[in-house]
Amino acid sequence: MAYISNTEKQKKEMLAVLGLSTVDSLFASIPASIRLKKPLNIKGSLSEPELIRELEQIASKNNSIDKINSFLGAGCYEHFVPSAVRYITSRTEFYTAYTPYQPEASQGTLQAIYEYQTYICLLTGMDITCASLYDGASSCAEAVLMAHRVNGRNKIFIASNLHPEYKRVIYTYSCGFDLDIKEIPCNAEFLLNLDFISRNLDEHTSSILIQNPNFFGGLEEVEKITQIAHQKGALVINSVYPMSLGILKTPGEMDVDIVVGDGQSLGNGMNFGGPSFGFLACKKEFARKMPGRIVGRTVDKDNKEGFVLTLQAREQHIRREKATSNICSNQSLNALAACVYFASVGPIGFKKISQACCDNAHYLYEKLSSIKDLVFPLRGIFFNEFLIKLPMDAKELLAELEKHKIIGGLNVTKFFPEINHAILVSCTELKTQAQIEDYSDKMSKIFRKEKINTKI
Amino acid sequence: MSNLIFEKGNFGREGVSVPAAAKPKKDIYSSIPDTFLAKKNYDFPYLSELDVIRHYVNLSRLNFSIDTNFYPLGSCTMKYNPKINEELSSMKGFVNLHPYQDQEDIQGALYIIHDLEKMLCEITGMNRFSFQPSAGAHGELTGMLMIRAYHCAKNNKKTKVIVPDSSHGTNPASAAMCGYEIVQIKSNENGLVDISELKKNIDKETAAVMLTNPNTLGLFEEEIKEIADISHAKGALLYYDGANLNALLGITNPALMGFDVMHINLHKTFATPHGGGGPGSGPVGVTKELIEFLPVPLVDKKDNQFYFNYDFPRSIGKVKAFYGNFLVLVKAYIYILSVGGLGLKEISENAVLNANYLKENLKKYFDLPYDKICMHETVFSAARQKQENDISALDIAKRLIDYGIHPPTVYFPLIVKEALMIEPTETESKETLDNFIEVMKKIYAESKTNPQLLKEAPHNTPVRRLNEVKAAMDLDLRWNPQKPFDNHR
Repeated sequence: MAYISNTEKQKKEMLAVLGLSTVDSLFASIPASIRLKKPLNIKGSLSEPELIRELEQIASKNNSIDKINSFLGAGCYEHFVPSAVRYITSRTEFYTAYTPYQPEASQGTLQAIYEYQTYICLLTGMDITCASLYDGASSCAEAVLMAHRVNGRNKIFIASNLHPEYKRVIYTYSCGFDLDIKEIPCNAEFLLNLDFISRNLDEHTSSILIQNPNFFGGLEEVEKITQIAHQKGALVINSVYPMSLGILKTPGEMDVDIVVGDGQSLGNGMNFGGPSFGFLACKKEFARKMPGRIVGRTVDKDNKEGFVLTLQAREQHIRREKATSNICSNQSLNALAACVYFASVGPIGFKKISQACCDNAHYLYEKLSSIKDLVFPLRGIFFNEFLIKLPMDAKELLAELEKHKIIGGLNVTKFFPEINHAILVSCTELKTQAQIEDYSDKMSKIFRKEKINTKI
Repeated sequence: MSNLIFEKGNFGREGVSVPAAAKPKKDIYSSIPDTFLAKKNYDFPYLSELDVIRHYVNLSRLNFSIDTNFYPLGSCTMKYNPKINEELSSMKGFVNLHPYQDQEDIQGALYIIHDLEKMLCEITGMNRFSFQPSAGAHGELTGMLMIRAYHCAKNNKKTKVIVPDSSHGTNPASAAMCGYEIVQIKSNENGLVDISELKKNIDKETAAVMLTNPNTLGLFEEEIKEIADISHAKGALLYYDGANLNALLGITNPALMGFDVMHINLHKTFATPHGGGGPGSGPVGVTKELIEFLPVPLVDKKDNQFYFNYDFPRSIGKVKAFYGNFLVLVKAYIYILSVGGLGLKEISENAVLNANYLKENLKKYFDLPYDKICMHETVFSAARQKQENDISALDIAKRLIDYGIHPPTVYFPLIVKEALMIEPTETESKETLDNFIEVMKKIYAESKTNPQLLKEAPHNTPVRRLNEVKAAMDLDLRWNPQKPFDNHR
């Protein structure tokens, strides 16, 4: 089944109009020497019931989070997705449209993106934003390059407690530019070393990129860092977890220059890491340096309000190699999901969800902190995720928990080989009291047993 | 135009019910110090679920889409998006997967990535693919970064990249992001790469030549083997922009043509929906010389288990967190399973047949700058209409909207004046094409008898032509709570 509408008879009629007898003659311009000699060796064509059986069978080999008690986070979280969000993003008028190049035929998408842009600005406390980027990691990279365009400086400081995959993406994206990237070390609480920042930022520093809450869950002193950076004329880029902004101060309030993040938590599934979307919001003076598509409101010839893609003179289809970024398609449908998410949960609901994430994690923290062998470097100051240092190998502990159908968190050593025996644990609003207590009970048992074993 | 969502609702109205914390806050000992906490509430509107659904359903109805309109947008391959792909890719076993779960828990997901990679290798002749890039341009960036890494590893001093003047804007933009200088070469009188221009401009400092084939005029670069030989002789690699792959499935492939690196737009050729601007997916494929530079991780198999292989010390690194737009991969995978190897060839044959049928029927009315058999798309010029009646490609595009047809791509490729780039795709029927031809004939007649009708078009849309100059000058990029039309509180 190739989803072709034309019948054999129609194909013959069409070929006759072309004065051809075979379809193959349409390909006469392709030299014989580069023609495939045999059919593609690809299985198919499966009927619809066969496809269902095949895919259900494949999916059953995945042990998805709904079947386990998971405390995994680290940039991808198990949040509630309202049915209204899925319903709207399943409207084929949205999902089978292309980028809104023809505004008169795309007002639905354009207005929705304008509303999305507004929600992101309100959320972050920033002036403006673009229509979305690929994900949180590439948004960090785009922000670093954007800051370099703004001030022409080439020294970049990035937080060592930034998500390790985001760091790697920044290094990969920037290798073609003349940039000097250094990492800001952490103190014992895994927070950024402010002394280092004071001593090292100078008039060549283009930007400083920090993550708040940081990868280990800790809350950074963003206002102090911003003051130090601004004294040197450097821009501050803050990578945020949008869900945390339900209760935490907005980056806008703290005078941050560019805010980036991943929108997975806003109405998108975990999806094995994608698709989600990235966002980049900033102060309005940087509008013409932003990457990506931007929707603006204007009027039509009858003076009626409407929406268009604007500031296109920054973009690749006009500026080619001088564009602010090469990005073309972004993650529009996932951004729409975020827009409908905000509308659905409303200001009270959003705050409530954010508070629930925080409270659940703090409840878990409280339960676990009675286990004497565990060390909590963040000292209880975190949003919904925290680091635990263990007296045993993280891998062994996680394997033990897995026996009880619990994913106990992320083995941090996987990303930070210098940090031994540590896990990163997160809670969302979907964790129940029973699940949290199940985790803390099993942890207590494991460590009691561990203690007995070590004593012997 | 519909009111903004921010102008709807009523203070205090509640939306969907959301879960509360497992334990009331007062029972929790620790908390966050005040200095970190927000002091005020958000200016989000207070809406019921009905408010939200009605607002966005009504907005959706203002869109043209494949499911509601013929959408022959050139270079975008707007084919039908099968519904079974949507349904099956949204199963819990895919949506509720966390990227950091243990390998034992994600064998199904890894199987799909592994199997899809094999399929794409068979289709393109490449040796390996990475699925990390989120879109075509992202794939280009990834591919060019790999080319850069390849030359660096060999200590080749390379400074520039050659692109034809008919190329997609993303090609030079992506190469520039890798630090390369861009050299643009003119096409010849047949709309193809001018071999003498290529020879004149290519030298030992050329890192790569970026091409799409068929090119953006919908023409097959017949001398592609010679282009590849010229490039390789100077130590330059050949990059294939896969935007136009829908013309060639099962007929030829980029490896046979001599390409070294390529990307595929799964949201074009492999029928995954474009979502109004993404999510797409731009997997990047390479010949074996470049495998070691692919982004990590790749999916391999050992002891009957699939696993993420990070063991590529010369990898360019990562271009996205995690592994790519996985759900898009699932949809493309289901599509290929439903179509099969023979079906893929049929797809290209019908895409090319449909494009040629349109071309043949319309060339009496609109100038065809390159009159020969085209591939999956064809490019007309409204230069004659412009000269005779001051009717532009844009006027024709806008008039098409009145007839319920999404316009073709206009003003691209840049080398055709008043370009109208039409790509019908294989999924459209002859009836739809015949209707399009009739509409274009009517517009042709109107351009002579009533040009004002076209200049004023569209007439039947929610908004008329919009003031784009105003949009770029008086920037209004968001609703603002301070503005006077704020009436929800």
